[in-house]
Amino acid sequence: MIATPGTSAEAIGTPPPIEESLVIFDNVSRFYGEVLGVNRVTLTIPPGITSLVGPNGSGKTTLMNLMTGLVRPTRGEIRVLGAATNDPERLFKLVGYSTQFDSFPKGLTGFEFVYSFLRLFGDSHAECESRAWKAIERVNLVEPAKRKVAGYSKGMRQRIKLAQAIAHDPRVLVLDEPLNGLDPLVRAETIALFREFAAKGRHVIMSTHILHEVDMISDQVILLANGYVVAEGEISGVRSEISEQPIQVQIRCDKPSAMASRVFQTDHVVEVKLHVDGGGLLIKTRDADKFYRLLNHIALDGIAIESVTPADDNANSIYEYLIGGEESTK
Amino acid sequence: MNWALWWAQIRAIIRLEMRKTFFAKRGIWIYLLALAPAVLFFADSIAVMHDRDRRAESESTHAVSAKTLDSIEMGTTRGQVEAKLGEPYAKEVFSFGRRGQNEHAVYRYTDGQSDYVFIFQDDELVGRRVNELRTISKDSLVFATVFQFFFLRLAIFFGCVGIFTNLFRGELLDKSLHFYLLAPVRREVLLVGKYLAGLIATVVIFTTSTALQLMAMGWHLTGPAMTEYLHGPGLGQIGAYLGVTALACLGYGSVFLAAGLLFRNPIIPAAVVLLWESANPFLPAALKKISVIFYLQSMCPVVARPNDMPALAALLLSSAEATPAIWAVSGLIVLTLAVLAVAARQARKLEINYSSD
Repeated sequence: MIATPGTSAEAIGTPPPIEESLVIFDNVSRFYGEVLGVNRVTLTIPPGITSLVGPNGSGKTTLMNLMTGLVRPTRGEIRVLGAATNDPERLFKLVGYSTQFDSFPKGLTGFEFVYSFLRLFGDSHAECESRAWKAIERVNLVEPAKRKVAGYSKGMRQRIKLAQAIAHDPRVLVLDEPLNGLDPLVRAETIALFREFAAKGRHVIMSTHILHEVDMISDQVILLANGYVVAEGEISGVRSEISEQPIQVQIRCDKPSAMASRVFQTDHVVEVKLHVDGGGLLIKTRDADKFYRLLNHIALDGIAIESVTPADDNANSIYEYLIGGEESTK
Repeated sequence: MNWALWWAQIRAIIRLEMRKTFFAKRGIWIYLLALAPAVLFFADSIAVMHDRDRRAESESTHAVSAKTLDSIEMGTTRGQVEAKLGEPYAKEVFSFGRRGQNEHAVYRYTDGQSDYVFIFQDDELVGRRVNELRTISKDSLVFATVFQFFFLRLAIFFGCVGIFTNLFRGELLDKSLHFYLLAPVRREVLLVGKYLAGLIATVVIFTTSTALQLMAMGWHLTGPAMTEYLHGPGLGQIGAYLGVTALACLGYGSVFLAAGLLFRNPIIPAAVVLLWESANPFLPAALKKISVIFYLQSMCPVVARPNDMPALAALLLSSAEATPAIWAVSGLIVLTLAVLAVAARQARKLEINYSSD
């Protein structure tokens, strides 16, 4: 994630080419009457998979709706690959959005749904038909595509929404809880689709409340609480910035007791737990750099270290540290 | 200005909306509302034809000349009437009073064209009514009254409420409007597309109904009478009624499309517009022109007579001043464009916040 404190409105007004590959929020606030949606959000989202994580009402959907012009900011400015959110003709050639709303225009089949909205791009019947089938095929919904959407299961509805969002081959894919209602197999296929999208240098911006999937899928995370962005960046980077929480490291070695005694001689190690199997230990330290330097010395002193793994370098832990005390996810 | 793209988008919106508007179950009441007067006119025509046949039959068995029938004076007894006119083709006698001492009788005669109804009270002629056979001029007046009172004021009005308010409000309630707002379509183009879709639907439904009503109205006419009508004012009247129907959809459509964007509950603005349109006769000249009905009634080829109607119904008929058709059409188009401009402004500000809708 790119640091953004200095992003100014003037800079957005005359975007240099790099900004045409970024999604930029510049001091954006949105209030619903007196209720806060999001407040003073300044973000720059690069290509790749970015997960928005936060409890109910934290502002995830508002952020996505702001990004796609479904709601307007009370203050601040948003640019999506250089396009303003009040310029639909430009914006929606770049963006596809699969919303959380589980509703569809009445009476349409899956194919008609994807095809009809593709026609709004002004392309020919043949072109739209081909694109619609391609997108439907991509989400494995060819067989039921001729049936009415009203008869689809929750998972099928999610997939047809996804097909509609990707049908015009957007550069930015915005997805609100896209994995909800999908069975494990389809979930894996869908995640593969997101990865494929991101691998092409495109943006996949999704909200989710399934934290272990955040680790698995995301290149970046944006943690939200009460309408504020509380952390952003790569998961490991975000973790290292949480200085008040000791970093946890799992070590598998041949002499865990000897190692415990060595590390306790330093002032930055605050807790050590020996594994019950006698083959390792969990260490909590306030200074990761000093700890890893110490670990080098320990290894040289004859303790055979099998593996060293960060134990809380994941979205779940970060979430717990930053938000967990206040609220829980959905 | 990318007119080609906008036109392609408008056509795509119309196609999508048509499927929803024409085949929606919730729109069935609009078809019923539109077809109701046509059904009534058909029923009336069948009754008129039946009546004509009956009179013709009565004429052959109870032929009495109009002159003889007109010569009967008030106070004449039943016996004197029967002596002069013969047996009536229909006779009803009722007794009433405590012991049945009072008698009431109705005698019906015909000269083949008109029905003469003589009413006797205690063997004395106290009333006489002549029911003439229906003529096209009488039918035209009935049609004008039904068209202006029921069809314009209620059927097209509420049909447009049902179709046009739902173009945006209905989709907000169904939580499906965002699909349009997530397409590369300007809000103004979306508005025009939806408006034209609603207009096509209402014009097709209501002009078909008007045509059916006119056809039903003339169903009972004999060949010569129909030829005379069509060679006289008929074609002009038919064209005018179809035109007024289409213009009503144009005007009311814009009003209710805007209402669907501006208000959460379209029934409230519909009631306000209905009141405003009903108050039209009592408004100052300048305010009268800010109304759809003012222009529509100016263009109706036959003036409905409020005096012949119940007071409450007459209240709904605006006494439109004679406004040249060109001004009426122009005025209605200007009004429509002004309302659509307000709607477009609102559409630009539209946000998706289904929970509050």
